[in-house]
Amino acid sequence: MSPNGGTLGTRQIVFDGLWHNNPVFRQILGICSTLAVTNLVLNTLVMCAALTLVLSASCLTVSLLRRFTPRNIRMMVQTLVIAFYVIIVDTSLKGYWPDMSTALGPYVGLIITNCIIMGRCEAFAGTNEPVPAMIDGFFNGLGYSILLLAIALPRELLGMGSILGFPMPYFSTVWDKWIIMVMPPGAFFTLAVIIWVCRAIKPREETAA
Amino acid sequence: MREKPWYAVAYMFGITAFLSFLIIGLARVTAERVRMNEELAIERAVLQALQLAEGKTTEEIHRTFVEKIEPLPGNDNYRLVENGSLAGYAVRVAGKGYWAPIGGFIGLKPDRQTVIGIAFYEQSETPGLGAEITSPAFRRQFQGLELSPGPQPIEIRPYGAELERHQVHAISGATQTCTRLEYLVNEDLNRWRQSAGGEETR
Repeated sequence: MSPNGGTLGTRQIVFDGLWHNNPVFRQILGICSTLAVTNLVLNTLVMCAALTLVLSASCLTVSLLRRFTPRNIRMMVQTLVIAFYVIIVDTSLKGYWPDMSTALGPYVGLIITNCIIMGRCEAFAGTNEPVPAMIDGFFNGLGYSILLLAIALPRELLGMGSILGFPMPYFSTVWDKWIIMVMPPGAFFTLAVIIWVCRAIKPREETAA
Repeated sequence: MREKPWYAVAYMFGITAFLSFLIIGLARVTAERVRMNEELAIERAVLQALQLAEGKTTEEIHRTFVEKIEPLPGNDNYRLVENGSLAGYAVRVAGKGYWAPIGGFIGLKPDRQTVIGIAFYEQSETPGLGAEITSPAFRRQFQGLELSPGPQPIEIRPYGAELERHQVHAISGATQTCTRLEYLVNEDLNRWRQSAGGEETR
């Protein structure tokens, strides 16, 4: 039933999440946040950390609950679990890292709607043991993070002439900043180029589905 | 048993109650910290607007605030008292931004005309664009402005325009934020001007 159903080795789960089945350029999931938070590298980093944390924890919890959850309400339960972890992250940031909380604004709350989390809970965690489910969640989060950074670095560099807020030589002085790169259209261009490059390196195998 | 309708309801109820319990617990534990952080953000913004926050730690900011800042009636605006005499005002400028409320302070000299600075304690504008209103480069433009006596004490003009003493340059790509910022700043400055007449006689 599920493409990952049953007995995958850890190694394969890791490489699936990072590359072969990468949530962003292969499954095209989580694009909304990919477009929204990638104009500054620092915001992207914290967003990725928060997402990876929420994703691993949610997958673990959904997997632990899978034997007790009636199938017809499993989606409600997944949403609830995800929302629970997102609120925990949001509240902790507000309490202990207020600067970052203000910088990320509404994006932390929007992790709830990130399709990757629900996708992994539904496709993997709901039918697998807790530990592989958590590993799967973690490496899918990492695969998402790598892609997001690959988009955020050129966007901040070309659009603002800096990386992590530090002005870069040449780009902050001589370079005529492409403001459009930090605006929403810049995200579309960069994302398209990245997906193109990644898929060119590894074309989709049209084998038995 | 898993297929029984009552099981699904009871299960959902149970798990919701349990998770809510944990979240409420966490919220209660952090409530005090969150409230303090918000207050500190306001104190920091007041002092930044008055150019008194430079290089100070959070603790020093709190101490300076308690020492030198007095709330004006209405609790929105503050005045700076140094060595027993009035040294400035911090006028709260707050209202709707593009995405969410913007809140900040404009520091004014006792002449009520010259701007000392501007700072924000709350905003959720687009990072890299609207959120640049909090950047030193944008805020520095406000230092030394002379408020215009007209209905538009401060104006935000397009990038590259020639500026008068009460005007600053907008942020390219953040037109909405700048338009709204100009509106809310002027609205609050005008209100403060009107109410300040009564305070003068104190």
